[in-house]
Amino acid sequence: MLAPSSFHHQISTPNPLQINQHCNFRKPIWRRQKSVVRCSQNKLGGTKNYYELLGVSIDASPQEIKNAYRKLQKKYHPDIAGEEGHERTLTLNEAYKVLIRDELRKEYDASIGRIGAGVGRGGFGSIWKGPLRPQALFVDENSCIGCRECVHHASNTFMMNEAFGTARVKVQYGDDDGKIETSVDSCPVNCIHWVNTEELPVLEYLIQPRPKPGYGIYGQGWERPADVFMAAQSFSKQLKQQEENQQKYAQSSNEEEETPAQAQARESAYRELKMENFARIWSWIKKSNTGQ
Amino acid sequence: MAEPAYTVASDSETTGEEKSSSPFPEIAIGIDIGTSQCSVAVWNGSQVELLRNTRNQKLMRSYVTFKDEIPAGGVSNQLAHEYEMLSGAAIFNMKRLIGRVDTDPVIHTSKSLPFLVQTLNIGVRPFIAALVKNMWRSTTPEEVLAIFLVELRAMAEVQLKRPVRTVVLTIPVSFSRFQITRIERACAMAGLQVLRLMPEPTAVALLYAQQQQQNVHDNMGSGTEKIALIFNMGAGFCDTAVTATAGGVSHIKALAGSVLGGEDILLNTMRHLLPDMDSHFSIRGIDEIRKMGLLRVATQDAIHKLSSQSNVQINVDFGNGRKISKVLDRGEFEEVNRGIFEKCESLIKQCLHDAKVEVDDINDVILVGGCSNIPKLRNIITSVCKKELYDGINPLEAAVRGAALEGAVASGVNDPFGSLDLLTIQATPHSIGVRADGNNLIPIIHQNTTMPIRRDLIFTTVHDNQTEALIVVYEGDEKEVEKNHLLGYFKITGIPPVARGVPEINVCLDIDAANVLRAFAGVVMPGGQNPAAPVMEVRMPTVDDGHGWCAEALNRTYGSTLDLVTVQKKAAH
Repeated sequence: MLAPSSFHHQISTPNPLQINQHCNFRKPIWRRQKSVVRCSQNKLGGTKNYYELLGVSIDASPQEIKNAYRKLQKKYHPDIAGEEGHERTLTLNEAYKVLIRDELRKEYDASIGRIGAGVGRGGFGSIWKGPLRPQALFVDENSCIGCRECVHHASNTFMMNEAFGTARVKVQYGDDDGKIETSVDSCPVNCIHWVNTEELPVLEYLIQPRPKPGYGIYGQGWERPADVFMAAQSFSKQLKQQEENQQKYAQSSNEEEETPAQAQARESAYRELKMENFARIWSWIKKSNTGQ
Repeated sequence: MAEPAYTVASDSETTGEEKSSSPFPEIAIGIDIGTSQCSVAVWNGSQVELLRNTRNQKLMRSYVTFKDEIPAGGVSNQLAHEYEMLSGAAIFNMKRLIGRVDTDPVIHTSKSLPFLVQTLNIGVRPFIAALVKNMWRSTTPEEVLAIFLVELRAMAEVQLKRPVRTVVLTIPVSFSRFQITRIERACAMAGLQVLRLMPEPTAVALLYAQQQQQNVHDNMGSGTEKIALIFNMGAGFCDTAVTATAGGVSHIKALAGSVLGGEDILLNTMRHLLPDMDSHFSIRGIDEIRKMGLLRVATQDAIHKLSSQSNVQINVDFGNGRKISKVLDRGEFEEVNRGIFEKCESLIKQCLHDAKVEVDDINDVILVGGCSNIPKLRNIITSVCKKELYDGINPLEAAVRGAALEGAVASGVNDPFGSLDLLTIQATPHSIGVRADGNNLIPIIHQNTTMPIRRDLIFTTVHDNQTEALIVVYEGDEKEVEKNHLLGYFKITGIPPVARGVPEINVCLDIDAANVLRAFAGVVMPGGQNPAAPVMEVRMPTVDDGHGWCAEALNRTYGSTLDLVTVQKKAAH
């Protein structure tokens, strides 16, 4: 079974090449090797998100988050680091506030595309009635026209996603085979597919619309891969690579000590995680003021 | 080192700012200016040390007497007798008076003090005066505090054999930012720069964090997180805080405070002993002041005794055959002050609630301050928290020791033994927001938010072609703006003349670790990336004395012409 928690990382990670280039001109040669390592870890560890900012794993317990927060505060709090610590501490406080509160963390996880391990927490994907079968139902919501035929014929299996006006599978085999047969046939655009059960989680994950990266309050929206089946294929391939990489570099990662590369990554995380539009303008103003 | 005794340098707020940045920053001293007593402590290189005055006192009475040509404060002055402080020539309780307007109920309760507190109830500063040679000499709480601080500074400089310029002060949780500016001004007048201001219980929390850290080192303890409730009740204020402590980091979860203290207990009890006290002392002649002093001293004495005995005999002879002779027992005393004790209880409960901490999660309960010996108060706290009181802290020295620790940490001092491996993560004691949606306070930064913090919220215009908007910043947790503290206001101009609701006016508030509040405002048109008008940055508070009038005048002049409303969509955080 695939771990859903690591699904999105590949997708929303910025091009690793960019990061490598970035490291190359920022860091002296001897560090570059590590930076590359870090970058590949970065690919695993997610985008520049709050988890990375705090240097905790995506499944970190509240206790781990607290410890990491304290450790970083001791380093960056303006009482210790002086004025320069202000911006960092702001971001740290924000990250901590979100990750330490269950409801905010869930919301945040959803916004970065991370869905909690297992069904139930994130609430996406279908559940199974009865034993797992080799074939499962999957609605390609890109093609669905929202005719409600399937829901009409097999209401225990299909449901409407009202927010997006498309149908999706609620319960695998929620109705008897006859009803399911009828509903699949009733679809005017043939968007209900029988798929392999092991492919299902990937497909269901990918079909979830996720926020488009926006700039400040503009340009945000939702998107999903145009061809979910193609996306699933390449996704699985990347996932395999990722696992290989993970094994390769597992021993080189040291949890306790922050390597210069990790510091570097956090550095850029701070930069990237800048507040919205306005905050950016203000920090710029501040900078130019203090520069005088 | 021979500093002239009373150089009240300048009344300008900028004095504190100009200081050379030497490569070796001096260690800021910690000062706890209590309503009744005051103390100074400093990190001496290996531990916190309380400084003593020439009479070997660690705790000095907070008062300034204007008896002679040169005013003398409680640091250097020796009172011949307690009554001397109550002769009308001495001003005390500065901390309860500072930064309040004459409509403030606290000012009204202060009218029973021996010096003159006069109010016109129009929202300006009250008239405060000391009796000097049978004449009322006017002064201000800032001036009195500055004189007192000059004495403290001189005392510290003599002992430390170095100039003292930077301080960490403790303040009550309930202080508004306007009151804080008054404290800062008093410091500037005394030539002191405020490095940090700590709400009193958070200073205690830092001391507690250090003790826990030490325990971990000594006993190889687990160093797990500890939740402590701190309750501080002095003469003027009571404050409470919940802190989560681990690894020398004290993270303040919630704060709550009220202008309630030993002074109120004293007044209640005085009124109980002499029910017609107010009419009795309404005329302020020398004789009345003397009588009031007699009653005050006797009552104070009785309250102290009631901490250790169950009843006390009170005898006051006012002369002319009028006297009080009464046995006051502890139950009666507690009944008289029931309202105050109930308020204390509700503050603790509120603070626990705000901190989202269950009673069972509390590891330690710390009671400090001048009222910490009152049995009723101890009972309330132990019964609410279901825990015995923590006994590792001196209740009268805790706050100043914490302030000295913060002074060392924020001055960048390192201790090879890790005794300064500390950090206090503060929270905002009150919400801060702007006036919008009519007469409402729309909070931008909420109460008990971890500092430093920056938050913004988007507003828009209420009129078509509205080209200007007034940003009025308030502090407090009430819905209607009038019930909160006005911090300042400024106008944002150059809004493009378009239909109402179109321009996005982004108001951002930023509080840094030194508790400096800045307000920013900018206008963006939908679809635009750059501000449509120059972004404004305003340091708050901007209001000066008489601020009670300001809001009213603003309202009268502008009405709703420059109003704002919140944008319904959720602002990105």
